[in-house]
Amino acid sequence: VPVLPDWAIQTLQVVTILALAPLVSGIIARAEAVVQQRHGPRVLQPYYDILKLLRKETVLPAPAGPVFRAAPYISFAGLATIPLLIPALTTFGLPLGYIADFFGVGLILALSSFVVSIAAVDSGSPYAQLGSSRLRSFGAFNEPTVIFVTFVLALTTHTDLPYAFGATIRSSAVQVVRPSHLLMIAAFFMLVLTETGRIPVENHGGTLEFGQIEEGRVAEHSGPGLAFLRWGSSIKQLLLYTIFMNVLVVPWGMASSGRLDVVALAIVLLFAKALVVGAAVVVIESSFAKLRLYKIPEFTVASFMLAVLAVVIFLFEPSYGDSELSMFGAIATIAAVIVLLLEYGMLRSQDVWEQLRLYALGSAVVAALAVGTAATGHGNGELYVLGAVTIGLKALLFPLGITFVLRRLEAEARVPSVIGVPSGILIGIVLCALAFIVLRPVHIGAEAALPLSALPVAVGGVLVAFLLMVLRPYAPSQLLGFLALENAVSVASLVIAPGLPIILALLLLFDVLVGVLVFVVLVQYLAVERTAVRTDVLNRLTG
Amino acid sequence: MTWSLYALLAVPLVAVLLTLVDGWRLARAATLIAGIIALVLAVAIALSVRHGRVLIGAGGWLRVDSLGAVFLLATGLLYAIAGVFSIGYLAVDQTHSDFPRFAKRYFAFLNLFGWTMLLVPLAADFGTLWVAVELTTIISALLVAIDRTDAALEASWKYILIASSGLGIALLSIIVLYATGTHVLGADYVPRFERFLHHAGGLSHEAVALAFVLSVVGFGTKVGFVPMHTWLPDAHSEAPAPVSALLSGSLLSAAFYAILRFFQVAVATGQRSFAEHVLIVFGVISLVAASLFVIRQGNYKRLLAYSSIEHMGIIALGIGFGAPLAVAGALLHVLTHASAKGLAFFGAGSLLRGYDTKEVDGITDAGRAMPWTGSMFLAAALALSGLPLSGVFRSEFEIVAGGFARPQYVGVTVLLVFVNLAFFGIIWHAARMVLSRPADLAGDAPATAATIASERSTWMIAGMLGCLVVSVGLGVHLPGQLGALLANASHRLAVPG
Repeated sequence: VPVLPDWAIQTLQVVTILALAPLVSGIIARAEAVVQQRHGPRVLQPYYDILKLLRKETVLPAPAGPVFRAAPYISFAGLATIPLLIPALTTFGLPLGYIADFFGVGLILALSSFVVSIAAVDSGSPYAQLGSSRLRSFGAFNEPTVIFVTFVLALTTHTDLPYAFGATIRSSAVQVVRPSHLLMIAAFFMLVLTETGRIPVENHGGTLEFGQIEEGRVAEHSGPGLAFLRWGSSIKQLLLYTIFMNVLVVPWGMASSGRLDVVALAIVLLFAKALVVGAAVVVIESSFAKLRLYKIPEFTVASFMLAVLAVVIFLFEPSYGDSELSMFGAIATIAAVIVLLLEYGMLRSQDVWEQLRLYALGSAVVAALAVGTAATGHGNGELYVLGAVTIGLKALLFPLGITFVLRRLEAEARVPSVIGVPSGILIGIVLCALAFIVLRPVHIGAEAALPLSALPVAVGGVLVAFLLMVLRPYAPSQLLGFLALENAVSVASLVIAPGLPIILALLLLFDVLVGVLVFVVLVQYLAVERTAVRTDVLNRLTG
Repeated sequence: MTWSLYALLAVPLVAVLLTLVDGWRLARAATLIAGIIALVLAVAIALSVRHGRVLIGAGGWLRVDSLGAVFLLATGLLYAIAGVFSIGYLAVDQTHSDFPRFAKRYFAFLNLFGWTMLLVPLAADFGTLWVAVELTTIISALLVAIDRTDAALEASWKYILIASSGLGIALLSIIVLYATGTHVLGADYVPRFERFLHHAGGLSHEAVALAFVLSVVGFGTKVGFVPMHTWLPDAHSEAPAPVSALLSGSLLSAAFYAILRFFQVAVATGQRSFAEHVLIVFGVISLVAASLFVIRQGNYKRLLAYSSIEHMGIIALGIGFGAPLAVAGALLHVLTHASAKGLAFFGAGSLLRGYDTKEVDGITDAGRAMPWTGSMFLAAALALSGLPLSGVFRSEFEIVAGGFARPQYVGVTVLLVFVNLAFFGIIWHAARMVLSRPADLAGDAPATAATIASERSTWMIAGMLGCLVVSVGLGVHLPGQLGALLANASHRLAVPG
């Protein structure tokens, strides 16, 4: 098998990204259409669009100057440089791979975006200017997010080179399931959604001016310039997916030598990884609605705060030393972090149905954790029973029962927060950090195999559930807060005490069941007596 | 004697079944009889365990020792007397059209509530203990809301929300304890109390300390420690009077019993002084805050509720002082507080039935209008404030004496100052209600308000008399058997292992 020289791989890396990018966009667009039961465009449509635009003549707006004309090419050139700097195909650094670090990549990405914004101003078109000013204001929190994500990388590896980070993870897989790392992944994924103009921030490729951000900015471009901008934006998307997967999530499956077959396999795997991210994007785009414009900062702020939390948690995590990654440890930590993130989702949501769905999802994760715990040989077979009961009770019966009751009471779906949502999430993040700080010096002294870093996450979940109850003075939301609290405690119990006898676990669940029944009875009384389920009006009894 | 454990748990359940089969008269009789049988059984159990014997039943899932027996006595006493008092308390409403249904529901829940509270000291492991305490919350929340007034619903909602959240934390404490136990007891085991005590050497100190603090916060929510007490005055003031008496006299101490089980583990792992400090801190905060609230309270049932917080603070201080005399005094206080607070809430219920108001200002001249109730309410106030002759005096005296012996001067000083403050508050309000003449009736005009109010039921007076006899009896003469029981129980809290 021939071995490619480094310069050839380097070139191949750029070519791969540039060539595959429109295909990835096309596949996502088609998959989305299929999921939404439309026919949708051909998978190769982005290539045809680019070719068509390249053949068209350029129409310039009257005030446009050289800045406007040069912008698409500068932007494209910047984006085409980045594949040189990130680990797309190889695990080893290529000749030009070390000329810029993570910040350098961010800087070039920012430059590409910046020239387009300047061009929008130069065009004199109000839509284009609106788009770029929106992008600037909503994106204000993206840069700090990137910085904090880089902090986590740098704290782990003592360098901020993308290659070095992937290498660190490969050398000790336990890094991937640290709570801080998982939170950073969540933060970065939200950032990717924002930066690629996806729901919940923007309707990708939408033509309605009111919601346009990214699309609005290029409204005045045409011909080859527009072709390069379109191509550039799909390249940017693939670049972010590549960084997300190859640096943060799964830095495996890249070529460790220049052999042709290995490199070819790496190209296929890169494409597959991009499609995995694309699948997640499709699911999100098909199941959530776009946020109203003034709600978008909440989203970007949330991603920023998750990144901050990741850094704080990193500083207070139990030390890992050279501990091995156990399957159970990975499952437990990932489940705990997902339950926590879903609780943040409940904290963000102002809609009781959405909170209910998030709760049901969290319960399903808890059930999966129970099954996973049993499957990895902890506790015993009884945990399968517990998992089944959890699914039946907490993921199906409670949500459906509560839905039924609320529909019958015709309860108001909106549950506004007492304080602003970002402030609420900020408090929630402080509480979670607090859990880590308080639990850091505690040595549980349990079996060595137990994943102790999941305990503070679960305790953080308990505190966030308290916050949820305090911030939503509505009976159904407070009930859900109580149930979320119970979920967090269940996670803690599965994580550090998987051997708890099944009879006790079932008794606890039975108690929760009776408790929910009583809650529901009270909600009905409250609704009947007061024609409302608000609880902040319950202020007769004080002092 | 194992049969007595089963009998004790069976009796209230049989009573529940009987309330469901036929009319409210049967329900009433069943409750009355079940309460008295439960009291007799509790006394029998207490007598048999007073020298350190441990009763174990149901394959090890049920267990009573001298410590549990103290709390069993408190619950048995109030359960029996509440059965008596409820007859009179409900009789006032007998003319209402939906009375039969209401009464059946009330008695069914009352028996269930009694059952859950009897279950708490019978649990042999932390899991069952938690389940029992949570069940008390759920059942009593329904009892608080049983009147379905706005205020009762509000109180009930706050109660179940705050108490259940607190118990979530308590569950966390059990999990932490369980996790540290896996080190010596293997990956899966039933978290029985004595296992932790026997293997205390292998438990992580930090984990036990964390579990203890979490349990004080978690179960302390149900005990009513400040600042987790906010549900307590609402629930106690809005529940029907017999339920208030049970809530205050035995449920609070049942939750305290759960903390004591964690305390035992902490002592066994050599964390005694840490645990004592935690209890002293919560005790002092509760005592100080509650006695200040007592002074400015205008609703006499809330007044009594704050007094309960104060007394829970006193018990926490007694345990926290650590001297054997103080610990025995604190355990005796569980009983004396149950009898005195039961008397006070029963008196308050009788006054509520007579005057139909919960405001202190709405009640005047109760001593003449309702001579039995008025005098016994005043007696209850005096007993609660710890006047000699009342049992509370004996237990508080032991706590203070124990505190001086240790010595814990700061704690004792705070105790003395704020107990006196609460004393003034309670006596001032109670005396106004019972002794003061209506201002406009100073002349010869017949007292209109006072003539409307009158004794409503002999059953209520009988219930109050029962409490009064126990309360004064404990003060005048402490039976030798009870002394032995308390000494044995305090020994269990003092010795590691």
